[in-house]
Amino acid sequence: MPYHLFKCSECIPERGKHAVIKGPGETLADALPLGYLNTIPGSISERGCAYCGAKHVIGTPMKDVIHMSHGPVGCTYDTWQTKRYLSDNDNFQLKYTYATDMKEKHIIFGAEKMLKQNIIEAFEAFPAIKRMTIYQTCASALIGDDINAVANKVMKEMPDVDIFVCNSPGFGGPSQSGGHHKINIAWINQKVGTVEPETTSEYMINYVGEYNIQGDQEVMQDYFKRMGIQVLSTFTGNGSYDDLRAMHRAHLNVLECARSAEYICNELRVRYGIPRLDIDGFGFEPLSSSLKKVAMFFGIEERAQAIIDEETARWKPELEWYKARLAGKKVCLWPGGSKLWHWANCIHEEMGVDVVSVYTKFGHQGDMEKGISRCEEGALAIDDPNELEGMEAMEMLEPDIIFTGKRPGEVAKKVRVPYLNAHAYHNGPWKGFEGWVRFARDVYNGIYSPIHKLSLLDISKDEIPVDRGFETQRMLSDVHLSEEIKNSTELREYTGGYDLLKGLKERVYPEFPPKANVALPAV
Amino acid sequence: MKETSKERVEQLVDVIMKKCLWQFHSRTWDREKQNENIILKTTQILCDEPVVKETPEEKCYWVDAVWLANAYKEKFPWVTEIDKEDLKQIMRELKERLDFLLITGSLNAELTDPLY
Ligand code: SF4
Repeated sequence: MPYHLFKCSECIPERGKHAVIKGPGETLADALPLGYLNTIPGSISERGCAYCGAKHVIGTPMKDVIHMSHGPVGCTYDTWQTKRYLSDNDNFQLKYTYATDMKEKHIIFGAEKMLKQNIIEAFEAFPAIKRMTIYQTCASALIGDDINAVANKVMKEMPDVDIFVCNSPGFGGPSQSGGHHKINIAWINQKVGTVEPETTSEYMINYVGEYNIQGDQEVMQDYFKRMGIQVLSTFTGNGSYDDLRAMHRAHLNVLECARSAEYICNELRVRYGIPRLDIDGFGFEPLSSSLKKVAMFFGIEERAQAIIDEETARWKPELEWYKARLAGKKVCLWPGGSKLWHWANCIHEEMGVDVVSVYTKFGHQGDMEKGISRCEEGALAIDDPNELEGMEAMEMLEPDIIFTGKRPGEVAKKVRVPYLNAHAYHNGPWKGFEGWVRFARDVYNGIYSPIHKLSLLDISKDEIPVDRGFETQRMLSDVHLSEEIKNSTELREYTGGYDLLKGLKERVYPEFPPKANVALPAV
Repeated sequence: MKETSKERVEQLVDVIMKKCLWQFHSRTWDREKQNENIILKTTQILCDEPVVKETPEEKCYWVDAVWLANAYKEKFPWVTEIDKEDLKQIMRELKERLDFLLITGSLNAELTDPLY
């Protein structure tokens, strides 16, 4: 039977259609977990709300913006700073958070006046910032405050500011994914096409569904710049508000996280004729293919090839060092939405680990189609798991490590399963060639940390061995390795620095003469 | 031992499912267009026939098709060895199989949503 009902969920039989074991010879047409449905009452979900999806995931990575929540302070606080999406303007959008601090009296008497005061106060407190996004919450939606009207009034009074309104209250969908959808559509409806960009290259892309977690966007932007491609806007990591208003002028939308941002690409395709190219920024092979495809679109494939050759030569021996030590380790790939399919195949092929389970908290059935296709037979795929199911799966599968968020991750730690933060990373960035090696290093450090053995000893009663020192990671990881691999002079551990972004900031980019013979796609 | 044409189709499907993303667009009509255009262009590339890539949309299909054609040539020597008409037949079957797995036989309830 491909569908799998957890023992702990026998009292919630509807859960039986939310998990599938990929059986031999079975296809997507045989079994697919249900997805993007309201969480079943009684199941303690790990999801976020639609406001969180709009603000925390997509809105707040925009860097030169005051991000104001119109609602109680709790909504704001819980969506502040817990995801490491950096920005190159000293992380302005991470450092400050803003809320109108709605109270009971506002629920009764309305909060529009107070909202207006808050907007003006925030602009006055940060005079260098002229852009704002206002996020509706459950409370302000339920009392029917007209946020757009207030924003328009302020924009009339303060002509140098621009305000974007995102009406995505917490209840606006089964999960954070509802919020991703709403903010995508709101942005294209309200803002795209209202600014004309400054162009510096004959090749222009929007880089979409990329949130600059620990610098991912800066790594990828570096590759594009080295190819002479202008990243007109990034939706939204390290992205600038006004650049994103000019998305309609790109020649190509390069889409990374389709789960959170395919909507705007689809709309840009329909409304402006800009094609959508789905890519993977993780893993040597998928990343190489992706760079080549983008370059091929513009007829500059040789530029991508030069980067791939250089980066592969530099970093492959380090990836292989980790692969030799991670081979056969069991991994549960339990992220939010898109990483289950970004990683399922390439961590198996390039790091040698076996993905024994994939899950998604807020993904749709399309994400499960991708994830199940990309993992190997026998993997357990779960939609919107609850905490008990996660525990049962860990008991059943005995993973060596799980990649997930901090809530389930901390639970895993308590049963001595190491976890890596799939949303915010450990020692990222994890995109790019070097980033992928950093990910492998984090996996290695997670699995082979000596703490797992040490923590089994209880100093209050166990006998503590004093005749030998602690086992190091290398002693643990190399125990079954062949002498050839152990002593290899080609393979080596990660040799990059602490902060790889520093080097990118100092790079001088080549100037390419215009390719007159290349017919540019007209937009 | 020589594989049957069904086995060959499954080999080709497997590469798409494991390595590509273009086949998973979110709506039926989208998937139909993707499958149609990318498989057509891949077939043309493999059969050394001219490929139209004038508009941005066609160009985008073409880059995915070039990647796929290269992957097929690299992984499966039979792709370059067999008769072009036989290859075209296999590619037709591949398209049918993809349409089944991703559209007509798909269990994804969102495919028929009229909006994005
Ligand atoms: S569900 Fe509503 S009240 Fe709760 S955090 Fe989300 S917006 Fe705020």
